Amino acid sequence: MSASTEKEKPSVSRTAVRRPSFQPNTRLGSSSRRSFSLERGSKVLHKSIIQSPKPAVRVFDEESNDVTPLPLCQANPGAAQTTASILFKDRVSADSASDQTTATESFSVPLSRSLLDSSRISSQSSLWLMNEEMEETSSKWNISSSFPDDRGKTEATKEEMEHMHKETKEFFLTETDNISLLNIPSTFLPLDADHPKASKKTRSKDKYVDGSSQTLHGTSKNKHVQSDGLFLVDAGIGVSTSIMYDDTELEERQDKPEPKPISVDFTLVDSDDGGSALSPLRSAERSMSTGSMTTAVSVSSSLKDIEICENTHKPDVELIRLSKKFQHSLLVVEKTILQSLLQPQLAVYRQLPSLKDWIVELEREEQRDAEISETPALEGLWAFSCELTRGFSVSSMAWNKKNPDLLAVGYGEFDSTNQRAGLVCCWSLKNPTWPERVVRCESAVTSLDFSATRPSHLAVGLFNGSIAIYDIQNTDSISLFLDSSKCPSRHLGPVWQLRWNQQEFGLPAEERLEVLISVGADGRIIKWVVCTGNLGHTELMKLKRTIYKNPDAKITESISQSLISSLIPALCLDFHPSEPGIYLTGTWEGLIHKCSCSNNQQYLDTYRKHYCAVNYVAWCPLSDDIFLSCSADCTIQLWTQNQHNPMLSFSTTRKVVHDIKWSPKWATVFAAVYDEQLEVWDLNLSCLSPVIVQPAPPGVRLASLLFASHTDCVVVGDSCGQVTVYHLRNLGVGGSKQVNILHDLLHSAASSTLKP
Amino acid sequence: MADVEETLKRIQSQKGVQGVIIVNSEGIPIKTTLDNTSTVQYAGLIQQLVLMARSTVRELDPQNDLTFLRVRSKKNEIMIYLT
Repeated sequence: MSASTEKEKPSVSRTAVRRPSFQPNTRLGSSSRRSFSLERGSKVLHKSIIQSPKPAVRVFDEESNDVTPLPLCQANPGAAQTTASILFKDRVSADSASDQTTATESFSVPLSRSLLDSSRISSQSSLWLMNEEMEETSSKWNISSSFPDDRGKTEATKEEMEHMHKETKEFFLTETDNISLLNIPSTFLPLDADHPKASKKTRSKDKYVDGSSQTLHGTSKNKHVQSDGLFLVDAGIGVSTSIMYDDTELEERQDKPEPKPISVDFTLVDSDDGGSALSPLRSAERSMSTGSMTTAVSVSSSLKDIEICENTHKPDVELIRLSKKFQHSLLVVEKTILQSLLQPQLAVYRQLPSLKDWIVELEREEQRDAEISETPALEGLWAFSCELTRGFSVSSMAWNKKNPDLLAVGYGEFDSTNQRAGLVCCWSLKNPTWPERVVRCESAVTSLDFSATRPSHLAVGLFNGSIAIYDIQNTDSISLFLDSSKCPSRHLGPVWQLRWNQQEFGLPAEERLEVLISVGADGRIIKWVVCTGNLGHTELMKLKRTIYKNPDAKITESISQSLISSLIPALCLDFHPSEPGIYLTGTWEGLIHKCSCSNNQQYLDTYRKHYCAVNYVAWCPLSDDIFLSCSADCTIQLWTQNQHNPMLSFSTTRKVVHDIKWSPKWATVFAAVYDEQLEVWDLNLSCLSPVIVQPAPPGVRLASLLFASHTDCVVVGDSCGQVTVYHLRNLGVGGSKQVNILHDLLHSAASSTLKP
Repeated sequence: MADVEETLKRIQSQKGVQGVIIVNSEGIPIKTTLDNTSTVQYAGLIQQLVLMARSTVRELDPQNDLTFLRVRSKKNEIMIYLT
């Protein structure tokens, strides 16, 4: 409706102009506030208005008075004609509060202009004045029509008016109420609207009234309360990744004990009943007053803490003492101290350059001057000894197969008169003052060997003939792995030599079975196999007394048959480095037998030269077929496998050779231990005399010898329980060369011996 | 237990060892072979150093922890073992 009126509005003005001519009976709807409508009566007015500008038109009343209404404005007829239209339009435009009217305004303006084109400009002001008047009386007029501008149409109206002249009519002008046909309030507000609520009020249905009330305040009462001092503690923590990690770790474990809260919880007691404005001030005051208190309190609390700490000292000490970690830490500290103390010696051992150490610098300076020489020399480094081992005699030594820094030393007294308990100490290079492991044995230890497949197993042969295997891995549980003391076929005499050997060379290393071969004073060589929890044994050989028939001798021994075939104690054993199952044993008689593991009845070969007990037999590790033997007849013999006579023999002093060992590095170097001295021979340099002779410390007899595998050092055990480490300097050249030299030597020796 | 005492004695008797101080987790010395003032001084200073070193190690890798610290100077060497 409104749209139609909107559109019709410009047209209304036009049609209003025309309507009286064409459509006199139409009704108009308007959506403006100021509604106006056409009435039938209005058309009469139109006519009157139409008539009014014409002077020919006259209105007479009953008394024939000329009551022709005077024209409102003295404008031109053309202008007068347009007045109504203009007025109409202006009325239309007077509806200020409607957009539609404004729209029509826009429309009407050009129209009015077009209409006013004909009118004079001077009449405009009067027209506007008339507009104002007309606005007031617009309702009265109810003119929705205006007069056409067209001349043609005026002619038509003239005709109508002529018709009308003939009739006298009475006009009654009444005001009608505003009839609003449609009233849609707009939803838009102008920007300068004063009160948005005002508009809202008109629309909202809530009915409320602003009112004021007065709250009654009761009378306030002041009350003082004294509270205990407040402890204010600042606690802060700097967060770092480690702390975050710690906390998340502990949360995960969920067994974190509740940490004692450092801060004391405090609550502000506000005892004011009312007067909220006062309380903050009070609390501030209180905190200020207690601030000074807290410092004093904290001091006292800290004192208390100290007291508490002191009380807890004692359980702390005990706890710390008992903890293993502490023990371990102490050992580590000890080792580090010793390492720094012995750094030069250890460096020499390891063939590393020694650091300038302030502790021993003074001592070293003295020694440095003395030892600048090119000749082979022996340098004493340090000695493994401790009070535990004092009084014992070193009987045997063995390096650990896996950890070459670990040395097992067996101690025992060999005076057959009193058999004391034996001792096995495992020394580490890191700590020469205290052994890593200490094992006490029931009788004197005579032989030792570390297993190769299970590096923590140490086989110990005892004086009473039993063999024990210890597992020395853990400090606190050195368990006796196996013991042959209850085995019926154990050795009846001291076990002079023990050897772990890997049988079945055909198989790869992991599958080889490792067996323990023991040589006892009862003349038996027994092979022990470690079964599950047991020692299974087989006899490898029984060393029987052999009857030596000297082919050159003219007298045959006739009493041979009456001799009791008894077993001869064997003193040593050595396996061939490369050939499986072949081994040498040296006997009490002075014979060396070459035997095979597969044949336990006969010897493969026998070597005779010594006429006293053979103390040690050693294959050359770098060259096959060559072995050395030493015996109580104070000689050392060098043999080749094929020859029944020794190639070379060495003898220096009239003392028993206790031990002899090949150097693992140089094929021509070997060392021998006598009662009073250590001799190092280098066949390259001299076949007749040892290269190095190191006398034993006074009062001490040397007992055992061992070469260190990775370095140029020699370990010597003596009769007072000390194991001394010597360093060999300037000895020998490369290994392979040495072997050749050795072979050459032997060839020459052989040729010389063959010569009659 | 006896081992601990023995080890301590051995350490103390080594050549070049000036003294041994055992400190608990709070930094309070519980056993010492030095005089009181030095002990307190050492303990206090070392505590800070250890804290710093430990936090450094843990910052780099939270799963790591400091075990041994050696401070070598012109005249002395301090060995700190942490359990």
